[in-house]
Amino acid sequence: MRLDLATYPVKEVKLGSSTAYKDGVLEIDPDALAAEVLSDPRIATARIELASPGESVRIWPVRDVIEPRIKVEGPGVVYPGICDRPMTLVGSGRTNRLSGVSVVEVSEVQWHDAGHDWVWLFIDMLGPWGELNPYSGLFNICVVVEPHDELHVDVKNRAVHNASLTVSDRLAATTASAEPAEVRTYELKPSSPPLPKVVFIQGVHSSQGTSGNPNTFCTSIYGATHLELPRALHPNEMLDGAMTGPYRTAFATSWTLANNPLMEQLYDRHGVDFDFVGVIPMRTEWTRQDEKDWIGQETARLAYMMGADGAVVTWDAGGNEQVEVIRVVQACERMGIKAVFVTHEDISGSADGVSSLLEPVKELDALVSTGTIGGSDSMPAILPGVERVIGSPTKLVGDLRDESIPTAGPQKALPMYDDHYGFNNLIGMEY
Amino acid sequence: MTVRIVHYLNQFFAGEGGDEAAGMPLKAVDGPIRSGTLLQSILGDQGEVVGTLVCGDNYANEETEAALEAAGEALDRFKPDVVIAGPAFNAGRYGLACGEIGKLAESRGIRAVAAMHEENPGVAQHGRGVYILKTGESPTEMKEAVTHLAAFALKLARGEEIGPAAEEGYATRTRKIVRSPHPIARRAIDMLAAKVNGRPFQTEIPVILPDRVEPAPPIVDMSTARIALITTGGLIPRGNPERQTAGNPEQYYTYSIEGMTALDGNDWEAFHGGYFNGTASDNPNYILPLAQLRTLEDRGVVGSIYETLFTMPGVGTPVPKARRLGAQIAEELVAQEVDGALLVAT
Repeated sequence: MRLDLATYPVKEVKLGSSTAYKDGVLEIDPDALAAEVLSDPRIATARIELASPGESVRIWPVRDVIEPRIKVEGPGVVYPGICDRPMTLVGSGRTNRLSGVSVVEVSEVQWHDAGHDWVWLFIDMLGPWGELNPYSGLFNICVVVEPHDELHVDVKNRAVHNASLTVSDRLAATTASAEPAEVRTYELKPSSPPLPKVVFIQGVHSSQGTSGNPNTFCTSIYGATHLELPRALHPNEMLDGAMTGPYRTAFATSWTLANNPLMEQLYDRHGVDFDFVGVIPMRTEWTRQDEKDWIGQETARLAYMMGADGAVVTWDAGGNEQVEVIRVVQACERMGIKAVFVTHEDISGSADGVSSLLEPVKELDALVSTGTIGGSDSMPAILPGVERVIGSPTKLVGDLRDESIPTAGPQKALPMYDDHYGFNNLIGMEY
Repeated sequence: MTVRIVHYLNQFFAGEGGDEAAGMPLKAVDGPIRSGTLLQSILGDQGEVVGTLVCGDNYANEETEAALEAAGEALDRFKPDVVIAGPAFNAGRYGLACGEIGKLAESRGIRAVAAMHEENPGVAQHGRGVYILKTGESPTEMKEAVTHLAAFALKLARGEEIGPAAEEGYATRTRKIVRSPHPIARRAIDMLAAKVNGRPFQTEIPVILPDRVEPAPPIVDMSTARIALITTGGLIPRGNPERQTAGNPEQYYTYSIEGMTALDGNDWEAFHGGYFNGTASDNPNYILPLAQLRTLEDRGVVGSIYETLFTMPGVGTPVPKARRLGAQIAEELVAQEVDGALLVAT
């Protein structure tokens, strides 16, 4: 499977009367893009707004961040399956990407209506959170969109995400006649003489358990979001967005899945330190204990049958999920697959000698710390206010989410900060 | 500024004698003695050992209160910037005494540092509260240990930043989140490359295995036993009158179930951020099986059901807090002479 990924860097975004890319400048026509979104009868309101790096802007509520990509040669479309896009196998041919720019999905639509699982991500372009989130350095083209209220929550989810993908497709299409700054070929040929084989195991949350609905909207694999047994993907498929769409935490977006630094490192060092043989997405947040115990063994067996000698294991976020991915590490080690686990830490009990992991097991002998939001000097408990808001001017906060505050004002830092793909350089250390 | 230092030694290292002198009460002498003179020579004019506390190990461990009172009076008199205790190497009782002295100093706002071998029980007992520098097992390493203590004490006294435990050579007190010179992804794949190629690597998070909870002895006769019901499934009275949270609770809630034959979905619901609440809200007996327990009670299988239920949403609760809440519930159950508890997790 050979994929050429052509990069078209964006150094400036201008609002204008047409949508075009030339010499690093992306001109967008916000009204025309909004009109295209509004042509979907499910959509009630839509507008396009721009947040540029260095601006004192907060974007709220953020459901997803998407990198504009487009398949220009070879089978399928990028971000396949989700929102009823074609389900053709991707990962070969040529894909163009606009780097340095994103489409941000801004909407009040919640993931499902079973409660608790609120959208809470906001992006600060400046300040402590601006420094830590990987989106503040991008030109963020925000699709502020709401669907008609009478629609079912699943339909609303797909409608607003489709709106973002419509804009993303339209922007990526501007690369058609331009020259890329770089074309990189991703192929992963087997080495001779052979090197140890490694896989990337990625826990990926399904909201089926919390919503009670197998069709619930969340991170999709070729459009599927339900709890299912692990799959094997060629890493190139990840670059084409075979796994895409948001989860409820800051770092689990379409953009981070397509720009995963762990994946980049695995590609870079293929043929040098090891052979990178595949990606295994493992669905998480199972309900019963025996399911939680079993899913790790299923995943380890698949890695074993792919010939893996080693695995790097991570996941999007969450406690149930951490318990499940720790079981994958355990199962891999028991089958002789050497695993490295990338995880955040909860250091709140460490002065009392309490483990910073939810489920410490002895097989966890190669852990990489991504730090955590709590107890870190990098992220104060209260984030400063901003000059301008894109999205909703007020937001609901509080334990019971019944207190309204101005979005532009100072407010609590995000409750979960799980940099599980390793964008930053935080680390937990013994002191 | 010359840093004022008080040095703590046991009877043996102070030259008072071995086990036969281990009962000697704490005494304070002016200036350095024995290894304290080595300490003074290393400090040079940067620090002054203004006094030495000497105590028998048995006295320090058996008459701790009296020893600490005498030590406190001496600290008031010497007014040190830093207390240095030991090094105690692998002498267990000495190590414990060094930890106590360090803790006393810190409680009075005086910086403190001790030194001992990492398997000395003083480390397990006091290492989270007092800086304890790691030493070898025997006094043959006295010079290295005292040199390390002198440098560290000066750092403490001057308010200089104390680096990570591994770099500074002290026993772990806590964890902090800091910045690494290397990005996370790079560190992760470096570690993977090392591990699959059989090269050495260093994990970044120590695995602290959880406490093993010894189960209570089995209930001998269930037909006379009093059983309490506890759930972490987020059971709340319908409408959430107490405004409970859906996770990470500050407290647990108790409700009377006296005379109640089952939990009714009209009166109760689930409010929990970690699972689909619909099923449990329709039939709350899924998260607290009162109906089933009443049947067992009627049949005489179970003696009686304790009239108060305990509930909270377990999701997202850090271990120390969960420990505290659990201990509070256990205390209440013991006080009410409950024989057993059914704990329903979700």
